[in-house]
Amino acid sequence: MATARSNGLLAGLAKYGFIELESTIGKLDELVSLVGDSGRSALASLGKSVSPDQALDYLIRLSRENKVAVKKLLSKEETALRLCKLTGASAALADFVVVNPSILKEFEKEQKLLSKSDYIQILVSSIIDTSITHQAQVTNLRKAYRGELTKIAIFDTSALDPILVQPRVSLALADIAAAALEAGLVIGRRELTETNDFGTFTKEEVEDTRLAVIGMGKGGAGELNYISDVDVIYVAESSNENLETSRMLEIATKLATRMMRAMDATNSEPALWQVDANLRPEGKAGALVRTLDSHSSYYSRWAENWEFQALLKARPMAGDKDLGKAYFNAMNPLVWQSTQRENFVESVQKMRERVSGNIPADEVDRQIKLGPGGLRDIEFTVQLLQLVHGRSDETVRSPDTLTAIEELSKGGYIGRSEAAEFSAHYKFLRVLEHRIQMSKMRRTHLMPVEEDAQRAIARAVNLDWTADDLLTRWSEVKHQVRALHQKIFYRPLLAAVSKANDGLEISSEQALDRLSAIGYRNPEGALQHIRALTSGLSRRAQIQRQLLPVLLQWFSEGTDPDSALVAFRRLSENLGESHWYLRMLRDSSGAAERLSIALSNSRLATALLELIPEGAAWFEEPEALRPSSLANLNEQSESLAARHKDIDELARSIRHIRRRETLRLSLGSVVGELNIAQVSQGLSDLSEWYLRALTDAVVVSLQVNGEFSNDVLDFGIVAMGRFGGQELGFGSDADLMFVYKLVNSEESEAAQKSAEKVISELHRLVKDPQLEFEIDMELRPEGKNGSVARSVDSYKAYYSRWGDIWENQALLRARMIYGGDQLVSEFNEVIDEYRYPETLELKSIVEIRRIKARMENERLPQGADPKRHLKLGRGSLSDIEWLVQLLQLKHGSQFPSIRTPKTLDALVALVESELIAEHDARVLSEAWTLASRVRSAGVLWSNKVSDVLSIDRRQLEGMARILEYPRGSASALEEDYLAHTRRARQVFERIFYV
Amino acid sequence: MDKQRDFVLRTIEERNVKFVRLWFTDVAGTLKSVAIAPAEIEGAFAEGIGFDGSAIEGLSRSYEADMLAQPDPSTFQILPWRGEIEPTARMFCDITTPDGVPAAADPRNVLRRALDKAASMGFSFYIHPEIEFYLLKSSQIGPEGPIPVDKAGYFDNVPGGTANDFRRRAVNMLEQLGISVEFSHHEGGPGQNEIDLRYADALTMADNIMTFRTVIKEVAIEQGVYATFMPKPFTEHPGSGMHTHMSLFEGDTNAFFDPSGEYQMSKTAKSFMAGILRHAPEITAVTNQFVNSYKRLWGGGEAPSFVCWGHNNRSALIRVPLYKPNKGNSARMEYRAIDSAANPYLSYALLLSAGLKGIENNYELPAETEDNVWDLSDSERRAMGIQSLPQSLDHAIRLLEESELAAEVLGEQVFSYVLANKRKEWSDYRSQVTPYELKTNLEVL
Repeated sequence: MATARSNGLLAGLAKYGFIELESTIGKLDELVSLVGDSGRSALASLGKSVSPDQALDYLIRLSRENKVAVKKLLSKEETALRLCKLTGASAALADFVVVNPSILKEFEKEQKLLSKSDYIQILVSSIIDTSITHQAQVTNLRKAYRGELTKIAIFDTSALDPILVQPRVSLALADIAAAALEAGLVIGRRELTETNDFGTFTKEEVEDTRLAVIGMGKGGAGELNYISDVDVIYVAESSNENLETSRMLEIATKLATRMMRAMDATNSEPALWQVDANLRPEGKAGALVRTLDSHSSYYSRWAENWEFQALLKARPMAGDKDLGKAYFNAMNPLVWQSTQRENFVESVQKMRERVSGNIPADEVDRQIKLGPGGLRDIEFTVQLLQLVHGRSDETVRSPDTLTAIEELSKGGYIGRSEAAEFSAHYKFLRVLEHRIQMSKMRRTHLMPVEEDAQRAIARAVNLDWTADDLLTRWSEVKHQVRALHQKIFYRPLLAAVSKANDGLEISSEQALDRLSAIGYRNPEGALQHIRALTSGLSRRAQIQRQLLPVLLQWFSEGTDPDSALVAFRRLSENLGESHWYLRMLRDSSGAAERLSIALSNSRLATALLELIPEGAAWFEEPEALRPSSLANLNEQSESLAARHKDIDELARSIRHIRRRETLRLSLGSVVGELNIAQVSQGLSDLSEWYLRALTDAVVVSLQVNGEFSNDVLDFGIVAMGRFGGQELGFGSDADLMFVYKLVNSEESEAAQKSAEKVISELHRLVKDPQLEFEIDMELRPEGKNGSVARSVDSYKAYYSRWGDIWENQALLRARMIYGGDQLVSEFNEVIDEYRYPETLELKSIVEIRRIKARMENERLPQGADPKRHLKLGRGSLSDIEWLVQLLQLKHGSQFPSIRTPKTLDALVALVESELIAEHDARVLSEAWTLASRVRSAGVLWSNKVSDVLSIDRRQLEGMARILEYPRGSASALEEDYLAHTRRARQVFERIFYV
Repeated sequence: MDKQRDFVLRTIEERNVKFVRLWFTDVAGTLKSVAIAPAEIEGAFAEGIGFDGSAIEGLSRSYEADMLAQPDPSTFQILPWRGEIEPTARMFCDITTPDGVPAAADPRNVLRRALDKAASMGFSFYIHPEIEFYLLKSSQIGPEGPIPVDKAGYFDNVPGGTANDFRRRAVNMLEQLGISVEFSHHEGGPGQNEIDLRYADALTMADNIMTFRTVIKEVAIEQGVYATFMPKPFTEHPGSGMHTHMSLFEGDTNAFFDPSGEYQMSKTAKSFMAGILRHAPEITAVTNQFVNSYKRLWGGGEAPSFVCWGHNNRSALIRVPLYKPNKGNSARMEYRAIDSAANPYLSYALLLSAGLKGIENNYELPAETEDNVWDLSDSERRAMGIQSLPQSLDHAIRLLEESELAAEVLGEQVFSYVLANKRKEWSDYRSQVTPYELKTNLEVL
């Protein structure tokens, strides 16, 4: 029988929306056995409930005890529907009906929402019987409240469109809460006058005490949830001058406390909700009840910005009406004066950030209220706009969010379509919140994780929805809310300057306030640039109007938003007519963000971008910000050489490529695409290519003109110092020596002349006023006085007779970057003898130590703090390099693996050869890397080469941001640098001087 | 905080306060004071009071002179020795840079950071110090050295003596300043007194100690004598230590207490003690910061020169005192090396952090030492693995230089300032020809 029946039936049940199918058949049978055929027809109504399974369970439970009543309800579709919808939506309220079956009759009629005075009347009359204990009165009050709450829920769940009725439901919820407080006050007064324990007050004294309950937050604004704390503030006055204020306050405090207990103390009927009075002056620590004067003086002297924001929603809720009104009249004006306080907007923004920051990570995605795109984003935006504009415009001061949105839209402070969107999303989110809370009557703002629970919420919004449909829609809403939050908050700022024709007007003063609130140091200047960028009817101005709200925000997240805005304006003037530029910024959000980072954090990148605006195209793809390969560069220069016969023209093109590639490297490192090793390698490769390309050109042109002596077989360039180690930073000099190979071993004056000619031509051609290139030849034999070039043999003669130990040391980093294989190997053979000597005499070691010690004293600029010098300071670059080089001089001949001009590679090899402890090497590498990075960050930020860790906090902040520290890390960067170099110095002293 | 600020502003009105002194402490532990008029207080709360930090020892480098003193309203007190005629109040300050960031070199900030770290592990840190000092007839040095006000000894009651009056008056004043005194008595040396302050959280206590020193000096002036916190003013008499009882609380529970542990010490207590023992030598240059400090540490008697702990051992570096079994919340340990001239902010920051390190890294507590360690021979001590504290400031500096713990806790800038300052003191001292040398060498050589 069962199987036969279930054939078509199971699918049918699924169609009705049941989750449990097999067991439902049994349950339906049970229902029919209890209430007859009307049980079967209930199926259609159950199918319209958000949770047919849950509703069916409750129908059975209710029927067991109330057969007749339930049968009657189920016999009519209309009443059956009400019952099924409520019991499906709320287990908590269904339980209440089970315990209080008299409520069943309420399903017989269509429920209406009542006025606040009706609710007060109902709840106060529930405690009319004074012959019973106060406890029992509280029980009656709570039951009456829950009865009314159930009726509101019946109205809500049986409404055709829950979103449409949400504002009215919220208002009714605020009204019954107010009514409950009112009735609570009645009980409180009775307790104070009737109970012996409180015989200390006379009946008259209690009567002379006027107490008003001011609703704060959603309660005050008439937009309450099904269940949440009811925020209140108390104000009290005496109506009899013989009753002293202090005594009156004592009575009022007791009265308020009694009232709160009626709401939330333990009783056979559970508590309604917490009454929270913590928004009062001085918070938890302050007096519970104050006089009106005391409130006024607190707010006029001590209150903080957020307290005014909270006052925006303060409205009389219960108790003495006149006093409540007097409170409102006295306090409300203060709200609208508060924006004039310093940093008001900023502190409100910070408050919002703090709220977002406090959400546990695992809840962010489930938060309906506080998460990104949640209710708070809407409320926050609306309140801030109200506070800002409400000062001069009284029409935008309504306490509840939806009315406020409408008012702001009418006043032209937000666009109509945006207002409509905002308000629809607000209602949608509130419905989700209501339904989640209603289910178990728990105070929560989190989307449940169980799919069944999600499905019930989904069906509340739309009966055809699945849990996935809900989540998809919710995520769209969140997205749009977040976007609107940004849009509405920033766009009016532009409206002020661009006088756009969509009815938005804000005086410049307000725009200035906002710019300065988000971090612009010169808001007047910024406003001018914004005006220039957004005025006019061109497509460019149009797109810039769209882009700027976001860009202004991103600029302000960098260290120097003002310069970023100037740079953006210049860039736009250069490129604005290029079709790709604005389209890229608009369509690829990654591009605009990368541009913002570069412009607001790096003056070097900004300056170079001004030279080469077309480089902005690389922002589109992060790959374009990676260094060009050497092969690619060579190809470009070879092709240029083939095309250009004139050497000056050729050199100009090569210089341009160098500038372009330097820009690429600087952008790559400021947007975090490249690490320090990649930057150094990139810059070294680029310099190498630059010199080779130009030397090729010079040699060819001299040969063509017959100015190149036949005595020279080959010409070579030796990179020295950091260039030799491929460790160049932005703005580093190129340390060089020049060598040539003779056809025969006789020294030749003509050959020397030719070499000198090459070098002088090279000097002339590498010069670039737009992006300096310095050649430094001081490391050559005899330094400044020596010849600029020598033959291989001459080098050999010099090092064997005159070479100082420090010159041998410098040779450790010699690396040939130009010249034929034979020249390279001959030259290396010559210098290897000196840089990797078979034994290093003690005398030489002492000499090196002495030079280093003297350098520490003498080379440091006057007055410089050695702890902050990046090159010569305590534990910084030169300490580490000298230590490495000393070990290379000592052990290089025996351990070929340590022969490398690169400091970090050398450290690795030294560890492998067990010439330095691994821990020590790590300390040194870290300090060396940090010092190099700090140096590079300094140039990127300031576009100036400096060897000192700045003491300027803004510059430190800028450098810290480039080094990917979080905002506000100037001190952290300083601390890290000092700690790393201190440790490096300890290692250095232990090894180098001992 | 705002309530406290309001209280301050109200009290200034009500009590008709004429001046407010803003107090802060430099890295060396010297109290600095700047007086402002009541009218400026509100501004001082809002924006701080600017001053030239380069003039203050170790506070800033000369090129970043501008500093702000931000008064901490919770430390507001009327100074009792000023009387009622021109009431003067004081508040301790936190020092910030002009952009509002806590100054790296503010000792109060150093301690705050260490306390924040403890708080992040769920601990609050309480201190109860026993502060010793000498009362002298004057600051003049007699032919035999400083001249004490009496010749009494430990717990002696000196009839009609200066010391009794002095202690009564001082204790009175301290109480008026909201500093509770637990105990006060005559100490072992002539003119030597000890006053024990009731336990408080470490930051309050460090403030209290700075106040205490001022009160003692003021009362001495009032009574025509001179008070000194010099660690060891007499070769032949005991030095002035500041034995410090420490406890950690987790909420209301004493984290050092475990009824089932040895001496009712919890595992936390043991690891904390192990941390302090392991790091004690490297932080001694701060807890005992003067050349003279080492004369006390190595002057014999009960001086805690050796790194060990004991239950009832008066020579141990750390003593675990007895307390009544039902008073679990008074579980504590007493660090005996620190002297009365230490900078309390830096010292407590370091002691706390050393202890926390022990907890974090689960340090093993070495065995208890029951003998008087001074009676042991060097080899015996070596055999038992008992290390010593540094023997001189020079030795202490060398240990501090290598201390990652101290660098991290003090911050790089305070750390390098302390080192530079102490190196200078040592080099100045080293160049002195002392009376001892003259006495022993001049006639013989």
